Amino acid sequence: MEIDALRQRLKEIVGQDFVLSSNVDLMLYGYDAYLEMRRPDVVVIPENTEQVSQVVRLAYEEAVPVTARGSATSLSGGPVPLKGGIVIHFSRMNRILEIDVVNKRARVEPGVITLDLQTAVAKKGLQYAPDPASQKTSTMGGNVGENSGGPHCLKYGVTTNHIMGLKIVLYDGEVVDTGGKAPDRPGYDLTGLLVGSEGTLGIVTEITVRLIEQPEAIKTLLGIFETIEDASNTVSAIIAEGIVPATLEMMDRLVIRAVEESVHAGYPQDAEAVLIIELDGLKDGMERIADRIIEICLANKVREVKVAKDETERNILWTGRRGAFGAVSRLRPNYMVCDGTVPRTKLPEVLRRVTEIGREYNLPIGNVFHAGDGNLHPLILFDCRNEEETARVREAGTKILRLCVDAGGTISGEHGIGLEKLHEMSFIFSPDDIAALWKLKNAFDPVGGFNPGKVLPSLAS
Amino acid sequence: MNIVQLKKLQYEEVAKCTRCGFCLPNCPTYAVRRNEASTPRGRNAITRAIIEGRLELSDDLAEAIFTCLGCGACTKACFPAVNTKDSVFSDRACLTEVHANPKIFEKLSEALNEYHNISEDDNEDRAEWQEYLKDVPGEFIEKDHAEIVYFVGCVASFFPMAQKIPADFATIMYHAGLDFTILGGEEWCCGFPLIGAGMPEKVAELKAHNLEKIKRVGAKKAVFSCPSCLHTWKHLYDTDIELLHSSQLLRDLVGQNKLDLKPVELKVTYHDPCDLGRNTGVFEEPREVIKSIPGIEFVELPNNRNMSVCCGGGGNVEMVAPDLSAAIAQRKIEEILSTETKTVISSCQQCLRTIVTNARRQNIELNAMDLTQLVLKSLSQK
Repeated sequence: MEIDALRQRLKEIVGQDFVLSSNVDLMLYGYDAYLEMRRPDVVVIPENTEQVSQVVRLAYEEAVPVTARGSATSLSGGPVPLKGGIVIHFSRMNRILEIDVVNKRARVEPGVITLDLQTAVAKKGLQYAPDPASQKTSTMGGNVGENSGGPHCLKYGVTTNHIMGLKIVLYDGEVVDTGGKAPDRPGYDLTGLLVGSEGTLGIVTEITVRLIEQPEAIKTLLGIFETIEDASNTVSAIIAEGIVPATLEMMDRLVIRAVEESVHAGYPQDAEAVLIIELDGLKDGMERIADRIIEICLANKVREVKVAKDETERNILWTGRRGAFGAVSRLRPNYMVCDGTVPRTKLPEVLRRVTEIGREYNLPIGNVFHAGDGNLHPLILFDCRNEEETARVREAGTKILRLCVDAGGTISGEHGIGLEKLHEMSFIFSPDDIAALWKLKNAFDPVGGFNPGKVLPSLAS
Repeated sequence: MNIVQLKKLQYEEVAKCTRCGFCLPNCPTYAVRRNEASTPRGRNAITRAIIEGRLELSDDLAEAIFTCLGCGACTKACFPAVNTKDSVFSDRACLTEVHANPKIFEKLSEALNEYHNISEDDNEDRAEWQEYLKDVPGEFIEKDHAEIVYFVGCVASFFPMAQKIPADFATIMYHAGLDFTILGGEEWCCGFPLIGAGMPEKVAELKAHNLEKIKRVGAKKAVFSCPSCLHTWKHLYDTDIELLHSSQLLRDLVGQNKLDLKPVELKVTYHDPCDLGRNTGVFEEPREVIKSIPGIEFVELPNNRNMSVCCGGGGNVEMVAPDLSAAIAQRKIEEILSTETKTVISSCQQCLRTIVTNARRQNIELNAMDLTQLVLKSLSQK
């Protein structure tokens, strides 16, 4: 089918106003927060599952690729339409369909902003736990696609631990439900399979999530350290003690400075590292645990521990952390974030090596990361307008991920593989492993129409 | 403006955009249009693509570039603080250069050139609002020399719905014993609409005229009830005289006990105009004035101060996309109603006009008042 005819058919499905194909629109739907850009052939903004189903069926019949997109905050190229085709933008499917307080479940469309869901359930005394730093703009569909994490996932688990069921559109447009409100669904765990599949297996059009009670009390501490090593040792020591804080977030000097220039979160600019340690849960006993944490900090040579006195002070500390990625772009226009994970005990050693890699490639690297679960985020700063520098950044990024794998970790904590880390998949999986994953992919997507070129490297390579 | 100049002015600025998308929920146009072209991130990407030669300057860009409200909310949500508003206005100047701008702006420019006001009225009629004055002698309003010049602005001069504002403000200043005057027919448009129209170079003549007239009056201060006039003066006019907004002057009068404020039993909320609040930094003065009136019950809007959401009247959007402007106004009205107040106070005639017009269209019962009107109401109570 000619492209114009395809666009016409799409207009019949979603309406004239919600099919975009101007030169400008196609450029604008070619990016996320990663480096690569590709143009789709057409963009649709559907209103409901039925429309999505019809769009996917048409794409299947015409052998056109389909790529789903939410707010495109992703860091590994997930929604970049590598092979062109149709981009489905979920901005209009942004309704919270149900909040079931008694059963502690919510049903949402994929375009719902994560924070909007959190705010809505908070009014009913409940909480949706995963809290990606981009929560104020990221969509639930995107969180499902990338299996997003966030600071509080140390205690509560990542997105997949909170998804009870999905409505998905299969490759030929058929719509199926993979779960629902009930726990322990029998049969294959299709929900678990779909979460984190980055739109390569199906298109999610409805999400049922688990809600939990809001904690009775929250206490937020800021530990200020003279060395990264001391901060890392503190993290290991806290966990070793059997304490599971809600968050254990670390930022190094470069990031601290960038954040302070941006929002004045009250991090001391001469410190080498800060830790945001947050406790939540029952009020009883919290003081005791906080005291114990402070003791551990002191035993690991902390310079000072500050305690947020109220909600305002707590918010300021978190604003700094959530804005850390954006803040470093005050230093250089671009950053690449290496989302590797390592065993906690390896943190000091790996961070030391990361610094060395920065020196070796002559690139500034800042660190802001989920220390509690060993999920690093070295931010390599550069200017993508400098091609030579950009090439060095890619090499350094690969080297850092290799380092994580060699330390017993892996190549992605929460940002997905996308098109960024196809090559690095071979650090983790053997060719046989990859071939097995391809069989799974082919079972769901026999024509290879869903977000082609992502997650799985081609078998030839 | 050509692409070389655009690059010089805006390339480093838009290069700071990492496409993180934190601006999306803050943009009123995205909330309505739901497409990437209506996001600050998208607009930054367009500017960058123009500079890098990946996009031609063409009519295709007009929809994205001429629908930015210039409200600045995106910059407040942006950690590298990319100034999207100014880049977009530069883009507009580039599109204007190649005649890919909306034709309505050419008409606007011709009107300003011929009439020196935006409503194509005889500029001598600028003082028409004085018909609303009750007990202020005319000689107090138009003097050759005065300490303060009140720069009324086009909307308040010519649009009947807004003409009560200068009348009330002049009445308050008169009763407070201030030595002030207006420029009358010698007040020309400040040039603000031309910046949003992508014709910044045409501001020069208007600016020179206004500066010359104000100098002749020998004024030490210029006071504005229009935040956009004030913003234009502050940023584009090079002058040593003190520039302040009516809300700041009112706050000073309250502080000096020069206003005999009497009780007004009313529950009100306050809408921060973008050009007064976020873009000029005046947040507290209007609130202090409101709270100084006995009997007032004051509630904040959910999105206030730096997070205030544009009324839909910014950036000349109303002229090119009235449906978008109206839909944004509708959301503003819903936000106001969510506070369970029936009265919204603002300090901008344009915001009030946008809000009132759209409320009327929908038969929504909503009272919208300028701060000066609220103060005069209080002064007039028995």
